[in-house]
Amino acid sequence: MTSKQDWLHQQIQALAAQQPQFTDRAFWVALDRVVTEQAQRHDQLQGEIDGRTWRPDKW
Amino acid sequence: MATLVLVAHPQVADSTTQQFLHASLPASQVTWHELGDLGPIDVAAEQALLRQADRIILQFPLYWYAAPASFKRWEDTVLTRNFVYGDHRYPLAGKELGVVVSTGMPQTAFRRGGTENLTLDAALAPLAAVAHRAKLTWLPLFPVYQFGYMTEPQKLQLVIDYQRYLTQTQPDTLANRQAWFAARLPAMIARLSANQRQTGQLVAATFDQQCDDLEGLTDTLAMIKEADDDE
Repeated sequence: MTSKQDWLHQQIQALAAQQPQFTDRAFWVALDRVVTEQAQRHDQLQGEIDGRTWRPDKW
Repeated sequence: MATLVLVAHPQVADSTTQQFLHASLPASQVTWHELGDLGPIDVAAEQALLRQADRIILQFPLYWYAAPASFKRWEDTVLTRNFVYGDHRYPLAGKELGVVVSTGMPQTAFRRGGTENLTLDAALAPLAAVAHRAKLTWLPLFPVYQFGYMTEPQKLQLVIDYQRYLTQTQPDTLANRQAWFAARLPAMIARLSANQRQTGQLVAATFDQQCDDLEGLTDTLAMIKEADDDE
């Protein structure tokens, strides 16, 4: 996890923890889950781009 | 998008699951309609409700592998042959049909060899057949297994998963999930207290940036794949 993602995760969790209403807290917690998913997808896409760009058979 | 939730439960007010889902409803564009105590059914009014909806949700507890009697009564009365397909007009065509089904047994029970030895998809096949006949688009089921045993984190997740099932563009891809959250962030930030709002705005800006980054990477990858295919 990059420092930006780490920061985002912390901010969202802090917002979630401060919401008195259950459904509001649920929104921020769920947003945090999507952010985690974004980070995973980012790594997968970047990895595939790297893999396809640096193919030894194309050297 | 207008969503119609048809709730079939003999005692909605006494059902913790149904009350929880009712409290979880999105703020707008959703009509909650209970079928339990309709009395004499006004067929034209019920059909008008269906016509106005873009997404129709059937919501009920599973009673003997099916919806409760109030749903069957409504279905047999409102979904007349002429209305659904008889005059070849198919007024429900292109709308989406989702099913929110709550069960007293765990997820593991609903599989071949499980305690119930039956998948929910198999149990609810008659509903899928009706959807097919009406040219409705069938959405994957939204089961709520053993609500009473859910932990607080699971219930938090259920709130938003349920809201998304009612209002998010399908299929449930990351891109569609991102768009759903992005559309709701401004209203959710407005609900924050004054001292939290700036953080909320920073979070939204960073989230938007991440959405853009992913889109850029997806486009780059598509270009590379296209070039690879051309070789």
